[in-house]
Amino acid sequence: MTQVPTDLRKHEEVVAEFGSATTSRTWYFYVLLAAAVLFLLVSIGFVGTIFWSSLPTWLHGGLSLLTGKGWTAPNGPFGGLAMIAGTIETSLIALAIAVLIGLGTSIAIVFYIPRRLRNIVATLVELLAAVPSIVYGLWGLLVLAPWMATTVNPWLNKLPFATTIFGNPGQEFGTSLLLASIVLGIMIIPTFVAISREVIAVVPQDLIEACLSLGATRWQVIREVVLPTAKVGLYGATFLSLARATGETVAVAMVAGGVANMQFHLLYPGTSIASWIALQFGESTSKEVAALMALGVLLMLLNFGLSLISRSLVNRQRKLLATV
Amino acid sequence: MIELEQPVEAGHEMRAEIRRISNRTRARRVATSRVMVLLCAVALTLAAVPLALLIYQLLKNGVPVLNKAFFTTVPSTPTLIAPNATGGVSNAIVGSIALNIYASVLAIPVGVFVGIYLAETESKLATTLRTIAQTMAGAPSILMGLFAFSFVVHDLKIGFSALAGSFALAVLMLPVIILSSEIAVRNVPATLREAGLALGAKPHKVSMRVVLPSALTGIVTGAILALSRAVGETAPVLLVIGGGFTNTWGLLNPVSALPLSIFENAKSPWPSQRAQVWGVALVLVAFIFLVSLTARIWASRKQQVRN
Repeated sequence: MTQVPTDLRKHEEVVAEFGSATTSRTWYFYVLLAAAVLFLLVSIGFVGTIFWSSLPTWLHGGLSLLTGKGWTAPNGPFGGLAMIAGTIETSLIALAIAVLIGLGTSIAIVFYIPRRLRNIVATLVELLAAVPSIVYGLWGLLVLAPWMATTVNPWLNKLPFATTIFGNPGQEFGTSLLLASIVLGIMIIPTFVAISREVIAVVPQDLIEACLSLGATRWQVIREVVLPTAKVGLYGATFLSLARATGETVAVAMVAGGVANMQFHLLYPGTSIASWIALQFGESTSKEVAALMALGVLLMLLNFGLSLISRSLVNRQRKLLATV
Repeated sequence: MIELEQPVEAGHEMRAEIRRISNRTRARRVATSRVMVLLCAVALTLAAVPLALLIYQLLKNGVPVLNKAFFTTVPSTPTLIAPNATGGVSNAIVGSIALNIYASVLAIPVGVFVGIYLAETESKLATTLRTIAQTMAGAPSILMGLFAFSFVVHDLKIGFSALAGSFALAVLMLPVIILSSEIAVRNVPATLREAGLALGAKPHKVSMRVVLPSALTGIVTGAILALSRAVGETAPVLLVIGGGFTNTWGLLNPVSALPLSIFENAKSPWPSQRAQVWGVALVLVAFIFLVSLTARIWASRKQQVRN
């Protein structure tokens, strides 16, 4: 992008002063308005239908979906506690992996990599995001799962206390909550990097140079100036990655094992809300469909909440830097 | 003033001491900095290794199973007598193409118009729609499947069909197209609009004839990227397309799709079917990479020409 001279007026100002396609009531205005109303209806339908279809479950079982442990197809009771726990466990571990690796990657891309290589590395990270989740699932199932079973599990169980934390399933199966967390972690790295790179890159250069001129090393600049300045935006990136992780479906369905047990030993199979919907839907009766829809409502609330938090954090960061 | 009161010798000693300490902390700071550079490099490697491994595995396992039959025949179930008779995946290829064409037809016009609306209006409705689009763009894709199931399959009684699948994909693409079109329109230099208005054209004519053509590159790129995401999505179509075994373009027929065939055959007991899945994944990933890279390169070329 070439630098736009600052005395030229912005899109919003021109539109505000002279009007735009939507100022006068032409046929074009009505086409645009019709599309907008249609999208509004679709979004209302999206939330409404899923909620409506889940009503039988809430009416019959009350909140037992949130507190019940067992999932008995086809007539219930349907308890979602195992899926909720699985979602929380896998996404939090995945988040830890993604934040550690992602933050380092963002810092490396912005500060350490030569300018010429920067675009290539950024494109590679974007490609990582373009790989469909089914392919990550396939890779996890056919490559990582056998490796977990034959190499990682036995190795982990040689460590002291590891069996109490992870459990010891032997070498039979590789699919587990831990594997799901790892695959999820790899999948949400690009999400975290995309945002954290942006918020790190816009930290004002004069702050960085001021710190360097005081004799700080590169790392001191990053720790004392860059990260504190970008803090709010980095929290935003974290929440967005968490939202992605909780909603991920098929990859988790393939590598988590798909067993609806409350499971805190991470080497054993488990499941998550989204993947349970995908796994159970095919053979379900109307009662179970309603219960799965209710799980969908939970997933929707969780996701919308997280992405709302994330967006407000990233916006706050933008405003913060606009005033610097 | 303090300096004057102190003997010259003491000042020397003090300075030497300060230099010694500052050199020591400096060495430590530099060492920390170096370690951190190393850690960042490790993080970058850890982020890149999965991609490299994944692509290596895809090529190694995927290329050997690609042949003419793979693309042209429908799948068959292996038997004990013919354990390698997996057939091809032409049904999934046709299904994926059909689903995504129908989804594009449903989503692109509406999405682009909503995007233009958002860019050209400052109203409560616009602000609300923008927030909705941002929220829906990040929504888990399985929810689109649930929506399509309740609405198209169940309420409209259309049943498991290509229509239901493309509806789910259209809902998935819609917010992405809306947001990218809005940005594309907003990024058109305001001077163009001013120039059009200065020539006496009405605002809606300027928007249609001047702004829209300039925004077209951005709009098309956004639509292509939305499409390349939809092609690989499994969760929304999993619940509603039914999975047919024939090549069909019919809107109301059950169809298969490439991601669905991966999901169904990855756990197959037949080694031949598990091997074939790698081919499907390779085709899918190659297609997505090709499309999204081409779109990006094309967009940046156009951008350069304009500047």
